[in-house]
Amino acid sequence: MSTPVLATKLFTPTPRRQLVARPRLVEQLDSILDASHRLTVVSAPAGFGKTTLLSDWLSQRDRSRTTSRVAWLSLDDGDNDLPRFLTHLVAALQGVGLEVDVGLLESMDAASNSVDLTGLVNDVTRAGEHAPEKQWVLVLDDYHAIGAPAVHEAVIFLLDYLPAQLHLVVATRSDPPLPLARLRSRGQLTEIRAADLRFTQGEARDFLNRVMGLDLGTGDVQALDERTEGWVAGLQLAALSLRGISGPDEVAGFIKAFTGSNRFVIDYLADEVLSRQPAGVRDFLLRTSVLDHLTGPLCDAVIGRTDGTRTLEDLERGNLFLIALDTQRSWYRYHHLFADVLRVRLLADHPDQVPSLHQLASAWYASHGLVEDAVRHALAAKDFDRAAQLMEEALPDLRRARQDSVLLAWMRSLPESVVRRSPVLSIVSGWSMLMAGDLDAVESRLDDADAALAAGAHDQGLATTWADTEDLRTAPATVAVYRASLAQARGDVAGTVRHARRALDLAGPEDHFIRGAGAGYLGLAAWAAGDLPVALTTFAEAVRSLHEAGNLVDELDSTVVLADMWVASGRPSRARRLYERALKTATAGNEPYPRATADLHVGLAELDRELGDLAGAEAHLETARALRERTSITENRHRWYVAVAQLRAGLGDLDAASDLLDHAEALYRHGFYPDLRPIPAMRARVHIAHGDLASADEWARDHDVPSAAEMTYLHEYDHLTLVRLLLARHRSMAGRGEALAGDPSPLDDALALLDRLHAAADPNRPGSLIEIGMLRALVHHERGHRQQALADLDRALTRAPEPESYVRLFLDEGAPMLALLHDASHHGTGEHDALSQHARRLLDAAGISQQTAPTPDQVGLPDPLSDRELHVLRLLDSDLTGPQIARELYVSLNTLRTHTKRIFTKLDVNTRAAAVRRAHERRLL
Amino acid sequence: MSRHRLGPHTPAHYEIRIERHLDEHWSTWFDGLTLVRENDGTTTLHGVVADQAELHGLLAKVRDIGATLISVTSAEAPDQVGDGPA
Repeated sequence: MSTPVLATKLFTPTPRRQLVARPRLVEQLDSILDASHRLTVVSAPAGFGKTTLLSDWLSQRDRSRTTSRVAWLSLDDGDNDLPRFLTHLVAALQGVGLEVDVGLLESMDAASNSVDLTGLVNDVTRAGEHAPEKQWVLVLDDYHAIGAPAVHEAVIFLLDYLPAQLHLVVATRSDPPLPLARLRSRGQLTEIRAADLRFTQGEARDFLNRVMGLDLGTGDVQALDERTEGWVAGLQLAALSLRGISGPDEVAGFIKAFTGSNRFVIDYLADEVLSRQPAGVRDFLLRTSVLDHLTGPLCDAVIGRTDGTRTLEDLERGNLFLIALDTQRSWYRYHHLFADVLRVRLLADHPDQVPSLHQLASAWYASHGLVEDAVRHALAAKDFDRAAQLMEEALPDLRRARQDSVLLAWMRSLPESVVRRSPVLSIVSGWSMLMAGDLDAVESRLDDADAALAAGAHDQGLATTWADTEDLRTAPATVAVYRASLAQARGDVAGTVRHARRALDLAGPEDHFIRGAGAGYLGLAAWAAGDLPVALTTFAEAVRSLHEAGNLVDELDSTVVLADMWVASGRPSRARRLYERALKTATAGNEPYPRATADLHVGLAELDRELGDLAGAEAHLETARALRERTSITENRHRWYVAVAQLRAGLGDLDAASDLLDHAEALYRHGFYPDLRPIPAMRARVHIAHGDLASADEWARDHDVPSAAEMTYLHEYDHLTLVRLLLARHRSMAGRGEALAGDPSPLDDALALLDRLHAAADPNRPGSLIEIGMLRALVHHERGHRQQALADLDRALTRAPEPESYVRLFLDEGAPMLALLHDASHHGTGEHDALSQHARRLLDAAGISQQTAPTPDQVGLPDPLSDRELHVLRLLDSDLTGPQIARELYVSLNTLRTHTKRIFTKLDVNTRAAAVRRAHERRLL
Repeated sequence: MSRHRLGPHTPAHYEIRIERHLDEHWSTWFDGLTLVRENDGTTTLHGVVADQAELHGLLAKVRDIGATLISVTSAEAPDQVGDGPA
């Protein structure tokens, strides 16, 4: 997990020993544990006793029975960062025995700020099923601190899907943007508001006289309760003021003056309370008010005294709005309202002290290794140079922990001029622009970095303000790496090569990461240019350097690239060996596995599918699906959908394939790797297989495929798709009797195209050559040129480095290919001996995969259900809702409806329940 | 009828009215808005607010100190105050 968990945020406040019993509210809270109930909102301004009420209620429950457990999360501004919020939410749930997989957080995408919470919901649901007698209460305190829509959306999702055993309680100063009206109308919402929390006269008497130890008459209590309007923060301040007063006349005088005054309750009373404190205590309160959290040594450092710990204990005992944040009473905070009152006084009385107090706090945090707090206080002090230096020092740790969101927030908090003075921070800022996809801004940040480096070379004063880190030493080479990545994202192959070379020149022998990145970009550039031999050697070097750098994740990422290159080189078995070895490394430790583990399974699934091992492919994809959210890297996330789409398309389920490709396209990230299998072209292949040539024609027009004159590798997949479209066009014309002898046929275009593709791919891309040869054979076969067809097929297979690694490449071409293979298998001996063996191997494989389809008892059905429909049927026979099933199948709700409609028709029923019943009768389930 | 429509990003003059008398020191807290204690026992905070986000931030501060909000009104004119772009 990348974001550190702050234990103080998860601490359930312990109620004070003495409290006002509030049975009417406790009773109301007890009723929220009913199964039908979903949400409780305690909504009232600061100082109304929300937290006290909840912690009191929860501790009473604790004492009365043990079947309910409390997860408490105190929110603050920082929780507007979704990863941080979820990190603490998960920790809170784990703290009460709910086994939630932390891997979820690894999949967080800092740039898009989104995450799939299904896994979390499933984990909690499972935990609940294991302990059906248990109840959990999740309290989100100070929910008003949340303004980020992403966090609200996450909470709404949890509210909708968490099991009924988990009860959500939200304490807030303003009503949260949750679907309150809907819950209210269904009776699933309990609200406790200011009017409910307001102290009645009886409660006020109990509080003032018993809890606060005063001895006030009914009239005085009534006067105070009315003047404070039952606001307990006001009552507490009044009581603290009255404590220092003896004698009935003085008490009467105080109450008269207070009730007669028109001043804001807090102003009046805080003055009274503060003026009654010894000077030392007053000074302590004011000056430590800059701190969000207080502990003795920190207070000492900030105000230059030595009695911090004792003072804090005294304040807590004296009911002075100090709240313990842990059971050892080492950390505290002021009640928010009281902290504001103190801060405003400090600001008004000693505005000059505020920055230096923050600077002292920053220094204390920095010396205790708490960098985030140190930065926060440096920023509050507006000491941006210090903040910048702290950030520079913290960078390596932050990067190692992949705390991207913290880095992004830091970059936003510094003035641009400060960032520009620092080469290292300019690079980080460039990276943040890269995450945002603003390539022009990346470039200007890299220029800033270079300019700062140049300025520092002349100006020692400037250079000494930079933290002396590895990052600074390697900054020039790092800038070159980023420039290479920028060029690569822009499709500028020559620029990529130039900057990558420069990075390698600037890097020292031990700068493994930079060497790895530089070689990596060179390798990617060679790959994009279709020069596979150079791509492979360079990229293998990159992987070695990354390994030296100890960067396991990037090494695994690169495995996927290297494997792709081996496939393009016509060596799928080498790709397989790489995947298997990487998978062994990745899963050697315990879960959670490193990122990219799922991507390795996806790669193996594609290789299995090519071999016709559909069961193997399904198994890898299922594993990848379970791991996917957690261990797939952003650049590869679309590949799972692509792999499943290919599998479904091969099984004839073209609707699903098309939906899956839509998902893939939405996830596809441009600019990271060469786009060698464009998704629109894949969809066009599905359309072609479907006989939907109009859609495929549209694709060809929109993408201007025929006129892409250059036979570059980046266009090869498009061109090979176009060949298939031409073939299909010819077949459809022939089918309608339109193909007249002598007319220019689509087949001529196809052959011409294939010749040029062959010339471009020879000899560096054996993987392309086998596909080109196979298609040539098909075109000749279509023409009736049997000898040429067989000769092409022979060449394609016998020249391939490992022809036995290809099955689906041939079989996916359907009936015409089967006919051709049949012909080839009988072709006999002699020069085509190897060919006939390959043909027989492929025909055997075709037979096997036809027989492997499971055949349940479909006797008596006029129109048997397809495999896909049986799968849907099994899901209909579960508790999943329609949208959940659609998600499970990775199809849209509309596609699911099409499936169910077809199933209903075939089973002759009208409802889901009837379909399930009928299916059981017919032993389809 | 010559009133300009206020946009979400336009600075405008606002007046925030709060129940009871607030002490002068809150003026700094409310980003330097002018604080006036009115004879009717209320307090008005007024001044130019940069945009809607800042306005909501100010209202959250009113909420956070537990003060009772009575009204928020916008007057026409940053240019009347001679402050900020019109």
